[in-house]
Amino acid sequence: MNSLLNLVIRHNKLFRRDRMLVFFSLLTVIIVILLYAIFIQKTQIDAIEQLVTATPDIKNMVNEWMVAGLLSIMTVTSTLAAYGIAIKDMETKVLADFLTAPITRAKLQLSYVINAFFIGFALSLFGLICCQLFLVAVGGEWFSPGKISMLLGVVILSVTLSSVFNLFFTLLVTTQTSFSTLSTIIGTSIGFLCGVYVPLGSVPEFVQKIIMLFPISHTTVLFREILMRESIDTVFKGNAEAASSYEVHFGVHYEWGSTLITNSYSLLFITLSIIVFTLLSLFLYSRLPKRF
Amino acid sequence: MNIYKAENELNKTKPIIDVQGLVKNYNTHQAVKGISFQVKRGSLFAFLGTNGAGKSTTIEILCTLLEKTSGTIKINGISLGTRKNNELIRKSIGIVFQQSLLDEKLSVKENILHRGRLYGFTKQELIENWHFVKQALHLEEIEHQQYETLSGGQKRRVDIARAIIHKPDILFLDEPTTGLDPQTRLFVWDTIKQLQKELNMTIFLTTHYMEEAAVADEIVIMKEGKIIAAGTPHSLKEHHASDQLSITFLEETIGRHLLLEKGLSFTMKNGIFTINVPSTLEALQLLKEWEPSIHAFEVIKGSMDDVFIRLNKEEIGDEQLIEFSHSAQ
Repeated sequence: MNSLLNLVIRHNKLFRRDRMLVFFSLLTVIIVILLYAIFIQKTQIDAIEQLVTATPDIKNMVNEWMVAGLLSIMTVTSTLAAYGIAIKDMETKVLADFLTAPITRAKLQLSYVINAFFIGFALSLFGLICCQLFLVAVGGEWFSPGKISMLLGVVILSVTLSSVFNLFFTLLVTTQTSFSTLSTIIGTSIGFLCGVYVPLGSVPEFVQKIIMLFPISHTTVLFREILMRESIDTVFKGNAEAASSYEVHFGVHYEWGSTLITNSYSLLFITLSIIVFTLLSLFLYSRLPKRF
Repeated sequence: MNIYKAENELNKTKPIIDVQGLVKNYNTHQAVKGISFQVKRGSLFAFLGTNGAGKSTTIEILCTLLEKTSGTIKINGISLGTRKNNELIRKSIGIVFQQSLLDEKLSVKENILHRGRLYGFTKQELIENWHFVKQALHLEEIEHQQYETLSGGQKRRVDIARAIIHKPDILFLDEPTTGLDPQTRLFVWDTIKQLQKELNMTIFLTTHYMEEAAVADEIVIMKEGKIIAAGTPHSLKEHHASDQLSITFLEETIGRHLLLEKGLSFTMKNGIFTINVPSTLEALQLLKEWEPSIHAFEVIKGSMDDVFIRLNKEEIGDEQLIEFSHSAQ
């Protein structure tokens, strides 16, 4: 068997068998669900009902909004948790044992990245299925095949971005203690930086700019666009002004100044970010002392 | 073909490890100060030294984990240093580290196969090697157990199995028996000796237990980055440890008189006189001379412990001397 694939399988097994790792990778997601159930859903529905007449479709739309945020957060926390294996290997010197075999450090590092991608993809896929079941259970509809393929595309894009984004930060830490601090920081801030805890329109303008410049938040935007498009049309029934004001306030679309950021721009921004974080990580990796 | 064969024959007589002028600097600190030594193929080589002597640094360099500052190292005739050569060297060495480095959540078999696959074997070869190590280290009963559920001794067996899954020519063991109970230590030792004998594996060992070093073919003792003594256990004991002669005389007063007559310093406890003699032969001469007055006697050969403690003390003595002469100036 190829030694790279062999390493990825090994990391994967370790992740799956470490219940704490799996749990913590889903912790932020659980927090989001709780926050949503307690108050986010209610305040949002109240706000929308002031714009249009109340219908059950509003609830579905708001649920989809939450699911979009959840999915993008999930790709980040799951890939990050997967890097926990790399940090543990480094701190406990398991890395040294690997390096006594005829493999290169680069290959070893690559195996952790691939593992993070697979873990992120698998958990996000699982999350997507759960979200679909949830949406249907509370009165929504099944996704159409077209919607599913678009969602899968964004999941892959989002997991790829998260893998390299987290790789960059993981390369900066060397101990499990500092890694858990990093996880806490990313896990806490990601909900704000993707405009999931608080809608984009409710934060000061400079914070809005920060969120719009945060590449991962663009995956949230794409998820929202795919999941909510039909519901928005139903809820606002051609009331273009109300729809547009809702979309901007809740981050279904970004508006930089008065320029509308289209989905194509979001896609481009995500792709560029993947390239930039890959290059940054490679640069950082080449500069790191060759420790084990 | 013939040339290859001849070369192979030549390699057999060459040292399997050849270190010349090895230096390792960490920033301003020099951990290894230009050491040279050779290890014969198929031998059991012991590397001794107090903590911080530079043993682990040297082992890590030999195992291609750490870059040397200067000096030349040849392992199996291959010069250590370039990426390609290091990969070749890695295929011919196995390492048992001080601490266990296998995965707690994987079973014994999973652990060994996952590490074994890093050596580029075919499936068939790997399975053959697995059966070999399973048998050699008696892993049949624990092969499906999770590593974390094993006892300390079982873990060590699995660690050794992992280190030899690719049937290396050289097995490095960094304090392999530290923290093990006596029975397990014995088992680990039997295994190591068996591997050396049956597979003609070269064993490179560091240990804190002097009685373990005593069975080595060759010993090198390191202190503060330098080699302070090297040789077979026998020659080291000969040069650096004295024998102890304990005698019970028929009458204590006679014994005291005889010893004082010779001008020998001694200790006496419960009627047993103990003196240090430089060699066993001298002990024999004294015994012959005193035979009529002796009730019982015992000669205790100098141990590796004595050698180790003596050498470390001597060095400290020298340093103090140097410091003293410096301050005198």
